[in-house]
Amino acid sequence: MTNVDERLSLTTAARAWRRTGSTIAAFVYFFLLMPSLIVVPMSFGDKREIMFPPGTFSLTLFREYFFASTWMATTLQSLEVAGASAILSLVVGFLAAYALVRYDFPGKRLLNLVLLSPVLVPVIIVALGTYLYFSSIGITGTTPALIVAHSVHTTPFVVVTLMAGLRHVDPNLEKAAEIMGAGRIMVLRRVTLPLLMPAIFAGAMFAFLISFDEVVIAWFISNTSTQTLPVKMYSSIQWEVSPVIAAVSTLLTLLSLVVCLVSAAMQKPA
Amino acid sequence: MATAAMGRPGSKGDLPILLAPVTALLVLVFFVPLSFVLFYSVYDNGLTAKAFVSLAKSTLFLRVLGTSFDIALSATAVSLLLGYPIALHLARQPPRRRALLMILVLLPFWTSILVKSFAFYIILGNQGIINQALRWVFGEAAAVKLLFNRVGVIVGMSHYLIPFVVFPALASLLAQNPDLRRAAQIMGAGPVRIFLRITLPLSMPGVIAGGLMSMVISLGVFVTPTLLGGKADMMMANLIDFYTRDTLDWNTAAAIAVILLALSGILIAMLSWVRRDDGVA
Repeated sequence: MTNVDERLSLTTAARAWRRTGSTIAAFVYFFLLMPSLIVVPMSFGDKREIMFPPGTFSLTLFREYFFASTWMATTLQSLEVAGASAILSLVVGFLAAYALVRYDFPGKRLLNLVLLSPVLVPVIIVALGTYLYFSSIGITGTTPALIVAHSVHTTPFVVVTLMAGLRHVDPNLEKAAEIMGAGRIMVLRRVTLPLLMPAIFAGAMFAFLISFDEVVIAWFISNTSTQTLPVKMYSSIQWEVSPVIAAVSTLLTLLSLVVCLVSAAMQKPA
Repeated sequence: MATAAMGRPGSKGDLPILLAPVTALLVLVFFVPLSFVLFYSVYDNGLTAKAFVSLAKSTLFLRVLGTSFDIALSATAVSLLLGYPIALHLARQPPRRRALLMILVLLPFWTSILVKSFAFYIILGNQGIINQALRWVFGEAAAVKLLFNRVGVIVGMSHYLIPFVVFPALASLLAQNPDLRRAAQIMGAGPVRIFLRITLPLSMPGVIAGGLMSMVISLGVFVTPTLLGGKADMMMANLIDFYTRDTLDWNTAAAIAVILLALSGILIAMLSWVRRDDGVA
């Protein structure tokens, strides 16, 4: 194995060089992980102080979050927006990914690029444009407006994920089913979609989390009755820093961890 | 919908059905909004370049533009300095171990910017972890201001940007032929020399791509300067927000957005030039 004889041939200088590299890397890994490590113990503190480490152990902040505040209402709103955006971008994204992987047509490369552009353009510009446009047709502040605005942002991630998945689904399986007399819908339901399930699941998780955490677009086009969780967190950190944010952050970190493990699992087959 | 009407797989008859929804979504909720930005930047009871002219003379805008570049360049430099060692470390690991360590880079990537901002508030604040430790070791006077100033913004943004540096840099490092390093070693080159003459130069496309991506992201950043920065750290996105909500001056807001769009466009064009060999940008 290359690894073994590489190790055997290491000189002292090489070993010192490597150790320096590993030390720096360990420091940066710690820096990357620190915020996630901090918020969890914070969430078991109490209402009066925002200090690390918290002096007490209590579930006050979680109780406050779940029962005694407006936090739950904004969470439900975010769940609704993120759930609907995930579904919408899955449907739209699947059809587009299927066309891009299974068909050849003029302008395919261009479409590929255009599909990714909502991710490349700074989100503040999209947020402003959506706000100006939705104001002119009178739909700012509505939940459907938030859903479609978030879907534009989540669809590129779904398309990329599903395209990678579809490349691993052998088109001959689809052809075989067709030859045996299955109609297009039948092939889709019984062959393509079941084989694509892991990618669909991953795409749905990505879309859900991106929408659930999105703050800039929501800040521009939601109003007090359609406020999402990140918008409430944003205004809260800006003005009073409610300790309840610690509890919210712990729950969001758990959600991120799940999605992170899904995306780590997705990287392996490639 | 009749099955027969949809045609056989691979037949082009299906394309309109497959591509219509995504086209509608992109046109109605992306391109139309973008054209509203362009329109508002040059239209105020007739075509006019008024908004751009007054921006060119506005000390506020010029200061914010300078701040934006200043912060974007510093945050990009810090992210490259911190992200590259991670990419180098990951590139050296056996695949299974690399996949595990990768989780440490992916977790911050998938963590809400608000969770991170809250965490940095606890870490960097006056009563935060770092200042508590400094006071404990050096006494009451040792506290330093790390929050609501440039330091807070750079720390918060670097944390956000590091994954965007690690991914392309790692790809460049993994694409290198290990025989080159081995050959240099056999010929007597030390580890530092191998790094400076082979590893680093060959990974430059990935490093440049990561740096350009960081610039695009940080020029348009919105949340971090507001939550971790002070008054002097206002960036372009915050100024757009200010003109949109506080003064209702949509023309000026749109003009700033157009300038930001142009700057991002230049950087993205450079990015796709750097990555021209990888196919899609």
